[in-house]
Amino acid sequence: MTARKVARTRRSQPMRKPVAGTPGWVAPAAVLAVVALVVATLLVIRWYTTPAPKPLSNDTTAIVVAQVTGLPASEFDSVGQGTANNLVKPVSGTALTGVSGKPEVLYIGAEYCPFCAAERWPLIVALSRFGTFSGLQTTSSSSTDVYPNTPTFTFRAAAYTSQYIDFRAVETSDRDQKPLQSPSSAEQQLWSKYDPGGSIPFVDFGNRYVLTGATYSPDLLGGASWQAISGELKDPNSAQAKAIVGSANLFTAAICKATANQPAAVCSSATIQDLEKKLG
Amino acid sequence: MAAVGISVAGIAVSVYLTVLHYAGVVPACPASGPVNCEAVLSSSYAVVAGSSIPTSALGIAWFAVSVALWTLPAGRLVLAWSAVGLLGVLYLVFIEIDRLGAICLWCTAVHVLVVALVLIAVTVRR
Repeated sequence: MTARKVARTRRSQPMRKPVAGTPGWVAPAAVLAVVALVVATLLVIRWYTTPAPKPLSNDTTAIVVAQVTGLPASEFDSVGQGTANNLVKPVSGTALTGVSGKPEVLYIGAEYCPFCAAERWPLIVALSRFGTFSGLQTTSSSSTDVYPNTPTFTFRAAAYTSQYIDFRAVETSDRDQKPLQSPSSAEQQLWSKYDPGGSIPFVDFGNRYVLTGATYSPDLLGGASWQAISGELKDPNSAQAKAIVGSANLFTAAICKATANQPAAVCSSATIQDLEKKLG
Repeated sequence: MAAVGISVAGIAVSVYLTVLHYAGVVPACPASGPVNCEAVLSSSYAVVAGSSIPTSALGIAWFAVSVALWTLPAGRLVLAWSAVGLLGVLYLVFIEIDRLGAICLWCTAVHVLVVALVLIAVTVRR
């Protein structure tokens, strides 16, 4: 056989053995790999690249605050308790009064806390029925806690005036969990007395009622902008309105109990009167 | 047989979570840090959107159908049903990690059982 014939014979032979089939482990390994890849990608996105929402400008904040604090009475009546969990519990103690001698609403929370983020919305809505806020700024809860980046406001530089009540807010930490403000010893005693676990948010309504925890799940606000949430509050059928306005009505009823139902324009509504009975 | 056993285990865990949901009780599980059953099971994603049906009830239904498919000569239907389960698991893991920033251990147990069934399905039904 000549060298040319040998080469021709070799070229006509198959280059490799036919593949018998994909090995049995390939399919399950591929499924596992896809699942692991998806989970790893989600984890990386969540814990390393999720940016904190940029706080709004002063002008836009003013617009949002005006919407949140200017809801019509019909909205409160339409929502009632909504989907809010009634976590407002009666307490018996010396009436809590503020610097001007009026019944005081005491809030203790923190900027990183997602449950505080959720509760500030209805607290602002409720308190705005009795007085006026200034200095509210937008912020969001921690990026690394549960319900990350829940949009909210901060009370750290807010002021509140009312002819019916005083409002005192203590934000104990910023959104990075660095110390911010401290409760007075008297406030600390109240907090420890009614909330031995020291959980936040803690709200004392004139020492007639206290709230610990969140009246709705913060995930209801997750991923939404401040403008979108404030817009939804105008629709009594929206999930946000049912939670936030419903909670605000509960808080309003608690405050009305502390102010002896003043002002009548707020406290005498059938909705608030019904909720006052529920609060006990 | 293993697939049926895993499906029954999935039904058991799903029933447990459903019963706790209606009882308003949180399962034994850490409640701080990234592992937080309470944050997950009290979120709005713990129920089917627009209803009060707990998501775990869907788990009962999915595993029950799995039992039926694995005990019948269902052919490629098992593979298709497993794919549906896997997509559901990936969606729920996305919700846990991205939206809630919390992992529920009991939910993860269910997810692992679904993935195990998917692995068996792709291995057996080649």
